[in-house]
Amino acid sequence: MTRGYHDIGGDAAGPVPKDELPWLHWEKQVEAVRNLLGDGTRRVISLDEMRRGFESFGVDKYASLSFYRRRLEAMIDILIEKEVITREELDEEIAAVRARWTNVS
Amino acid sequence: MKARFRAGDRVRVLHLGKAGHVRTPFYVRGKVGTVSELCGYYLNPEDLAVGNTGGPVIPLYRVSFRQHDLWPDYHGPAHDTLSIEIYDHWLAAE
Amino acid sequence: MSDLHGHDHSHEHSHDHAHAAHPPLVAEDEAGNIEGQIIIDALQNILVRKNLLAPEEVTQEIEKIEAPGLHLGAKIIARAWADPAFKQRLLENGKSAAAELGIKVGEAQLIVVENTQGLHNLICCTLCSCYPRSILGQPPSWYISKAYRARTVREPRQILSEFGLDLPDDVELIVHDSNADMRYLVLPERPAGTDGWSEEQLAALVSRDSMIGVAKANMA
Repeated sequence: MTRGYHDIGGDAAGPVPKDELPWLHWEKQVEAVRNLLGDGTRRVISLDEMRRGFESFGVDKYASLSFYRRRLEAMIDILIEKEVITREELDEEIAAVRARWTNVS
Repeated sequence: MKARFRAGDRVRVLHLGKAGHVRTPFYVRGKVGTVSELCGYYLNPEDLAVGNTGGPVIPLYRVSFRQHDLWPDYHGPAHDTLSIEIYDHWLAAE
Repeated sequence: MSDLHGHDHSHEHSHDHAHAAHPPLVAEDEAGNIEGQIIIDALQNILVRKNLLAPEEVTQEIEKIEAPGLHLGAKIIARAWADPAFKQRLLENGKSAAAELGIKVGEAQLIVVENTQGLHNLICCTLCSCYPRSILGQPPSWYISKAYRARTVREPRQILSEFGLDLPDDVELIVHDSNADMRYLVLPERPAGTDGWSEEQLAALVSRDSMIGVAKANMA
C-alpha cells in the first residue's frame, strides 16, 4: 500500500491559516520557466514530472520548503535527472549570481 | 481505450499499490462510489511523470462518494458527498 | 518578509525536531526570497545559454500569468446570473462558454458547479494546488495550506464555519477534490435584491472566495 507524503487528504491538521502571502517576482519566474519548458515546442518538463519531483524529495524537504521553493527544487531535480543541466553547472552559476547580488547591495 | 463505465454505474476504487506519481488519493482507495460523468480522455499522469508522452489517452470519470462511506467520523448530514476524478484503470465494477 | 507563523526559515536549519509539527504555512523570510531569486536567475541563465529559453519569453510568460484574476471569474458569474441561456451553456461546458466572453481557459476543462438554496459546492485540491489559474490567477495561500488540503475533504462544514459560513444541515454539501485534469469554479447564488442590475454591478458582488465555495457572494 503506497501513500505519498503529499497525499494528505483526510489527515488531521490545525486551523486554516488565513494570512495571504503576496506573489513575488521570483515565484512568478519559477512558474513562467516551468510553463515554457513544458510547452508544445519544448516538452522538457511536464507538470506531472514536476509533481513527481516534489513527491519524491523527502517529507522533511516537502514540509519545510515554501510552496514556490518546492516547485523550484522539484524542477531542478528533474532537469538534473533528465540531464538537461548538471548540479555542478547550477552551483557554479548560483555562486556567480550570488556574487553579483553581493556586489550590487 | 473505450470507457468501461458511464453515469450511474457503481464502482470501487482499486488498491493498485503503484509506486511513484499517481493522482488517486489514498482516502478513496477501496471505496465504493457512483460515476457521475465521463470527463473525457486524457494522457495518464503516471506515464507523463516519467516522461512517457506516447499515450494512449485514457478515460477519466468524476465519481461521487457519500461522505459517510469515506469517513467513519463524518460529522454532517447523510446527503453530503465528495466528488473526485478517477482514471479508468483505477476502477472496477461494483 | 516576516515569519508569519513563527518559522525562522534559515536554509541550514537542523532537523533534530524532524517529524514534529511542521509550520502550517511556510513563508520565506527575506533571506529565503533572495535565495529563491538567485536560484531561479541562475537556472534561467543556464537554460538561456542552452537555447532552451529566451529572456523575453520569460518576461512575456510572467505577464501572461499575472493577467488573470478575480475580474475574469466575476465577469463569467455576472453573465451567468444575467443570462439564463448562457448559464446553461456554462454549466454544460465551462471552457466554451468562457470563450464566448473572450476568456481563454488554459486547462483541459472548466467545470462550473452551481450553488442553490439547497446545494453548496466547495473546491479543494488535496494532492497539490490545482486551481483554475487561467481565470482566477494564483490560488490564495490558505488554499494550498496543509490544513485546507487535509481537512476540507473530511470536515468541510467545520472548514466553512472557520470561514464564517455556517451551512444548515438541510443544505447538501458537495466537496470537489480537483485532483486530475478538470478545474472547478463555483457559480455562487445570486444575491437577493439585484433584479435589473447591470452585469457590471453584479460582477462587483462576486468575490474570489465565493468562486471557491468558502463564502457566499457579497450582499447587494
